[in-house]
Amino acid sequence: MSKDKEIKMITVTIDGKVCQAPYGKTILQIARENGIYIPTMCYLTKVKPIASCRMCVVEIAGVEGMILSCQEVATDGIEVTTNTPQLYTQRQNIMKLYDVNHPLECGVCDKSGECDLQNKTLEFNVATQNFTTREPHRAVENWGFISYDPALCIMCEKCVHVCNEIVGDESLAISVGGYKSTIVNKNLDDGCHECGECMSVCPVGALVSTHFKYSSNAWELTKIPAACSHCSSGCELSYEVKQDKIYRVTNNYEFSSLCGAGRFGYDFENRTNGKDEIDFNNALDAFAKADTIRFSATISNEEALILQRLKEAKGYKLVCDEAKGYQDFLKAYSRISGKSLYGGDLATIKSSKVIVVFGSRVDSDNPMVKYAISTASKHHRARVMYMHPIEDTNLSNIVTQYIKYEVGSEEGVAALLAHALVDRDNLDEDTKVFLDNLDIGNLSAESNVGEEEIDTLVQSLSKRKDFTLVVGADLYSHPRVENIAKLIALIEKHGSFDVVAIPPATNALGVALICELDNQVGDYTIGYNSRGDFTLSALGEGDLDMPSLNQQEGTFTTINKQVVPTNAALEYKGYVLNDIASTLGVKREYTIDYTQELPIDKGYQGVAFDDLKVDFGINGEDLRGYRLQTQGVDSDSILEEIAPLPTYDGLVLYRANAINQFSPFTHKAKELQSQEFLRGSSQFALAAKISDGDEVKFELDGVKYTRVFKIDTSMKGTVAINPTNDKGLSSTLVSSYRYAKLILDVQNK
Amino acid sequence: MSLEKFKDRNIGNQNYTLIGHEAFPQTSGEKFERVMKRMLKGELFVGLWVTLRTMFQALFKGEMHTTKYPFEKLPISPRYRAIHEMLRLLESGHYRCIGCGLCEQICISDCIRMDTRYDENQRKEVSEYTINFGRCIFCGYCAEVCPELAIVHGPRYETSSEQRASFSLFEDMLTPIDALKQQKEYPGFGAISPNADENIKKTPLAY
Repeated sequence: MSKDKEIKMITVTIDGKVCQAPYGKTILQIARENGIYIPTMCYLTKVKPIASCRMCVVEIAGVEGMILSCQEVATDGIEVTTNTPQLYTQRQNIMKLYDVNHPLECGVCDKSGECDLQNKTLEFNVATQNFTTREPHRAVENWGFISYDPALCIMCEKCVHVCNEIVGDESLAISVGGYKSTIVNKNLDDGCHECGECMSVCPVGALVSTHFKYSSNAWELTKIPAACSHCSSGCELSYEVKQDKIYRVTNNYEFSSLCGAGRFGYDFENRTNGKDEIDFNNALDAFAKADTIRFSATISNEEALILQRLKEAKGYKLVCDEAKGYQDFLKAYSRISGKSLYGGDLATIKSSKVIVVFGSRVDSDNPMVKYAISTASKHHRARVMYMHPIEDTNLSNIVTQYIKYEVGSEEGVAALLAHALVDRDNLDEDTKVFLDNLDIGNLSAESNVGEEEIDTLVQSLSKRKDFTLVVGADLYSHPRVENIAKLIALIEKHGSFDVVAIPPATNALGVALICELDNQVGDYTIGYNSRGDFTLSALGEGDLDMPSLNQQEGTFTTINKQVVPTNAALEYKGYVLNDIASTLGVKREYTIDYTQELPIDKGYQGVAFDDLKVDFGINGEDLRGYRLQTQGVDSDSILEEIAPLPTYDGLVLYRANAINQFSPFTHKAKELQSQEFLRGSSQFALAAKISDGDEVKFELDGVKYTRVFKIDTSMKGTVAINPTNDKGLSSTLVSSYRYAKLILDVQNK
Repeated sequence: MSLEKFKDRNIGNQNYTLIGHEAFPQTSGEKFERVMKRMLKGELFVGLWVTLRTMFQALFKGEMHTTKYPFEKLPISPRYRAIHEMLRLLESGHYRCIGCGLCEQICISDCIRMDTRYDENQRKEVSEYTINFGRCIFCGYCAEVCPELAIVHGPRYETSSEQRASFSLFEDMLTPIDALKQQKEYPGFGAISPNADENIKKTPLAY
């Protein structure tokens, strides 16, 4: 993707310092990049300038009046002064106005100690107040996870902007009324997904976590830098700890975001009393007997490497249902694309002008992808095509074109996309013949994707650039995953698309790269956070306790193809996987000794754990860990003929967790605990002859479910959504296709 | 005085003033003479006379000076720092502590531990408050830092008990609600200054 025009470099003098910057940046951005301080109250790097505080005013030589540096694009040769007595008085007056009637409850306020208002009031030396007004009565509101105190609110509007631009929920709005203005949550019952983004950006104590509120002072908590272990985004976060208890999670809200699971699902630790030697010896006996290790992809890279080393040393089969399909997908993908890894990442999505989402329910599979799409939509008016058998009303304000296809027809849809999007110019003869010979009419009819729908999609691409294709877990579990992957790779290679293949679980990418996975389970299985004849579990329900991911150090490989470090927030007293491996002959002193041994031929860099950074750069670049290096792979593969598309008539179940739920670990977290329902449309209820509130029994992948059925009015069709996150060790048994035909065993209450 | 002068440990060069006294006895005869002189002079009875006089006054004139501890106690300074007291608001009777955690933070012997929570009335409630008196050094920092004059030092210096926990809980230190009227404002360490009124700046209230 070449830029059309070369970007012009300009020279700006700020406080006598000569700064170079590309044209298009604001004065504030250039100042911050060059380490020049301009005070702000409402500026938030990740959203568009809000311009509500007027603190960032500067003076420019030759220009009358004060200029808002946050939204004024710098031009060549300007001379900016950021601080004069006049500007100081202006800013001091703004702070006085913010302080009007601000309750003097810093002593109890949660924000005290990290409060922007406190800091700036002291910075501008507000010792007297000469403004006054009558204070209206403002009652505290509780919005579930978040509590809003309008009396403390300074109306900086950061929360409204993140909710609209980043999260895309569009729940928060301003109730305009001069001094009586407040923030309102208009989608409290439906639409607000309680991600807590608004709370994290709040500069004062107006929006705080209801659970955390008044439980500790900010300065008493120790911040443990870590990576979120719930989904494949591996977001930056800090566990805030006091006396071996996690009180809350905070993040670098200026540059990065978190979803509700990351923010509120932090207490999933496995408390043990000490090293249980009897259990440990039982585990060693079990390892002597076992021929298979079945594990969940919610593990660190180091643990995955330990398992791989165990496989090499002892010949265990490694089975990871969550990552197997993904590994197959990546392998087949590289055989066409010639690259070991897909091309895009979250940053590519954010800057895209056209985004096609295929085979993923993004807002529950990976919220950061949804946030990125939402940012692209709001910042660049990106066109978003959402292709999925189930329409997702949570995305309705972002999606410009929804394309519904039949369950099971992913291969056909991939072929249709490849046919429409692949540029024939540089294509080899075989592939050209393959694409030209596709029976488009038949595929279109079987998959129920109209040719005119594809035409509309293609039309959206005209006069635009920066395209991203986001593919997800529906494809990895599909029986024809390899051919689908090849078609997707073809679109990336010859269709000016960047592909983002969302890893289906926290470290599915890491597992797919590090471990050689097997298909079949043997006679005696060790389960690691998964069901087995002998289970090692961080959920506290196994035969030997293991530390959960907030109790151990390690690294994850994220959707950004980045290796990010995480640290132990809480003490763990029991045995870890490394102890078992060391006893079995795969010896290292600590688990993190494996960090530098991660396979270099897969793109890892051999950096020791202690050398990995955990922070962001001055301009918001994610400096955590390092990026994987994409390796060249021999591309040899030939596309297979499209198999007859399977039909899924009747009742179908779709495996997807509720928003803010990913795994048994999020289910275990106290704040996120909720009852899971089988959710379907009224049409589904009619077809299944069940009604709202009925208890339903069924079996999938050998796991027995008893679920209460709920009618979801936002859904249509005969596909119901079945969560798995509450099934403990069985939640990871997801080897089959993501959709399953359902035979019901109905029991009325 | 400068610091150097304190640090100077060379005592030999310093100017000492000698107090005049008799010459020390040198020979054994002189020593014997001094012993006999002191023995026969009757100096002892000068001191004993004071004792006898006081005994006479106590026994026959009713001027007993002994304090019958523990039935009687001597008054102590208001700035004395003994077992802490938690005060209440005089108007509402609610405890003054707002749960800000400053006492816990400032405590140099790390003996205060508190937990707070968001209560049903949307206030910050002190759910746990303990002082480990086995560690407390009664330095008074907690009382000094308290912005509400909620924790103060009381005069209760007898700290023997069957259980260490006996007076370390919030409820034990809190003024009993029926004794609210007897609650005295703390004059000691950390109390507001006598000229506090003069130091207050008024905020504008135009309505």
